[in-house]
Amino acid sequence: MQRTRRDILLFMGGGAAGAMLTPAPWRLVTDAAIWSENWPGIPRPARGEITARYTNCALCPAGCAVRARCVAGQPVSLAGVAGNPLSQGALCAFGLTGHQLPYHPQRLKQGTPEEAAAAVRGAMAKCGAGESVAVLDLAPGRAASWTYRRAMAAVANGVYLAPPPPLGGAAVNLAKARTVLSLGAPLLDGWGTPGNVHAARANFRLIQAEPWESRTAALADEWLPIRPGSEAALALALKDPKTAPSAAQATGLTEKQILDLANELTANGPALVLSADDLPEALALNHALGAWGQTLVARPEVPVPDAWKKAAPERVVASVPDNSIRVLFIDESVPGSHIPWGAIEKKLVRDNPVVVAFAWTLEGYGRHAQFTLPTAVYPELTSDIPPAIDSPAATFRISVSLVAPPAGMADPSAFIAKAAGIDAGNALQERADAIHKSGRGTLFTYADGKSTPLKDIKPDAFWKSLNEGATWLGGAEEPLTRRRGDAEEIPGELPSEAPRLRVSASDTFPLLVAFTTPTPATLSSPLMSKLYQDSDLRMAPNTAALHPDTARASGITGASRAVLETQYGRCAIGVIPDESVPPGMLEVAAGPEILDICGAFTRAKVVAA
Amino acid sequence: MPFLAGALAALGAGWVGFPHAIYKSRPQPVDFSHKVHAEKAGTKCEDCHAFREDGTFAGIPSLSTCAACHAAPMGTTAAEKNFIDAYVTPNREPDWASYAQQPENVFFSHITHVKLGQLKCEQCHGDQGASDKLRPYQVDRISGYSRDIWGRTLFQSKAAGAVPGMKMDDCVDCHRKQGLSHSCLDCHK
Repeated sequence: MQRTRRDILLFMGGGAAGAMLTPAPWRLVTDAAIWSENWPGIPRPARGEITARYTNCALCPAGCAVRARCVAGQPVSLAGVAGNPLSQGALCAFGLTGHQLPYHPQRLKQGTPEEAAAAVRGAMAKCGAGESVAVLDLAPGRAASWTYRRAMAAVANGVYLAPPPPLGGAAVNLAKARTVLSLGAPLLDGWGTPGNVHAARANFRLIQAEPWESRTAALADEWLPIRPGSEAALALALKDPKTAPSAAQATGLTEKQILDLANELTANGPALVLSADDLPEALALNHALGAWGQTLVARPEVPVPDAWKKAAPERVVASVPDNSIRVLFIDESVPGSHIPWGAIEKKLVRDNPVVVAFAWTLEGYGRHAQFTLPTAVYPELTSDIPPAIDSPAATFRISVSLVAPPAGMADPSAFIAKAAGIDAGNALQERADAIHKSGRGTLFTYADGKSTPLKDIKPDAFWKSLNEGATWLGGAEEPLTRRRGDAEEIPGELPSEAPRLRVSASDTFPLLVAFTTPTPATLSSPLMSKLYQDSDLRMAPNTAALHPDTARASGITGASRAVLETQYGRCAIGVIPDESVPPGMLEVAAGPEILDICGAFTRAKVVAA
Repeated sequence: MPFLAGALAALGAGWVGFPHAIYKSRPQPVDFSHKVHAEKAGTKCEDCHAFREDGTFAGIPSLSTCAACHAAPMGTTAAEKNFIDAYVTPNREPDWASYAQQPENVFFSHITHVKLGQLKCEQCHGDQGASDKLRPYQVDRISGYSRDIWGRTLFQSKAAGAVPGMKMDDCVDCHRKQGLSHSCLDCHK
């Protein structure tokens, strides 16, 4: 029988029709879909023994206690530690996803440490009179910070730079406060230790004076919407009611509101006044209200070995002459305060300064440095965490490495110590030994939830416990050795730029910049970023929202591109008109470019692109 | 006629050849009889497939559990001799293949289902506990899922008493029938 082409086509057609009546094609489609979810390129969590390990979160100065659920040694979920006297079992959203940071797409994995060391040696040899070698430490108070200070003391013209300490270095005792007036401080949104703040929250009345309805304002007992930049005027009027009429004009509140507030602060004490940028007027108001020694206390220093005390003093960037730093090391390996690059850049010498940044991402100062050396990131790194602002007691805890960092990561303190020719030794253990030697305080161990007096613990056991996530708590606060509070008497150097600029609006930069997140310098986990951006809960980086009237006054119509300008420079941004933003304010979703030109509180102007 | 021939050929290939082709199989390392252990030794499922102290499910028992009884040969069968010689004496864990291994993106808690939900082992694992011989382990060549996850038949039977598969649809069906929560994050943590 002869086969024709028609027969073959009919056979094929029959085959195709028959195949549709079998499970094969449908199953292949499903299988291919499943394969695409599980293909070999997708990372797979390890399988193995399930264990719990304890550490302390190094993502902000709060240093909350963390219980990590590990599978085959790999942390797969993080939670707070109930019973911890500082963090009280709480962990913020950022902390809950901290174990994902090592896999962040912006992670920096390669650097050139040998070339950086050679360039540093060359530049230090060339360092002339009036020039300096400096370390900018964004998270001061750590054992590594002391290494930097010792290194800078060993170097001719060495300078140790750190952000100004909040509240002049005092600590807040929220547990004693009955009334808290917050002048724009994000008290319920990233300020201090979240667990501690929320535990104390039931005992104080919170009044938030702020131009926009921030998350803290929304959760406060009372929100006083004041005009941008009028915080200092309000603080002055509360201290001296004679200035209430002018304060009413500046803030937009009524005189009665201001006087009632002043009465409430006095009658319902102890009171505490916090401002977002350490306004001298707020510190003076605290002094007048008798907050010093009650809600503001002098926290005892965490002991350090005697040999460390020959160290360079802590200075702020503004105190260094312009064009004087020849070699600058910047440690941003752990999240800390942010200083605009524009403020740092003008301190560098004009001819070939050497800037070495230690960072885990290229989103920060590394973009401007000649050398950016990759570092471990939480929870890979091992570092101590300085006491939080709301801890009246001295504390010492270690963020213990839960995951081995990738090969080739730089150790900032070892690098800087070597460049300065000092032996950094095992700084962390030396400091732990000094604390043990002091015999003060108690050790809180997480696994059993016990507090043990330090004098009952041997040095080896103390060190071992610290490496298992335990927290040392020093004794109660010490009495103040001298009164502080009047603006003229505030110890240390105040930041020259921020508070003064905020007091009065300037014609050149009429808008007050407010960030949508309390810690704009911190990158969050990839999962959190994705969830936020996919859900449209957060503006995209380098975008700003402003009131339509403000936009019109700036010559901007509708959503468009614009240029943001501050005293430190200018950058392109996206602009969204938003009626919920008060006139005179600019609500900004920080991106690297914006952070380069904006400090925590900056005035700015926006012009149409 | 050619159309019909083509259709019949495709139906045959799809219903008979495809189920064999889609799975690759390998034998289990030990010739193990659940039936002998249940009937002669009187063991129950949970004697070997136990929960740990922290509530996690131990799954397939490790060699130490087996060796507690089989430190020396118990009987003269070839299977027993092979087990002792190949695994117990050299202290080597058998390379068991788990019929019910869920993929990486699924979090399944046995203790929740057994203790809280009062499910019997057979409701998901079928008559495995009464088998005299371990079936070869079959795995889907494309998706990598065990055949037991899909269900042992190519199209799952919804008849009463039939062993369901262990796919997401099967879990959701059961949760829905019981009026239980079945949101994404219940299983995909």
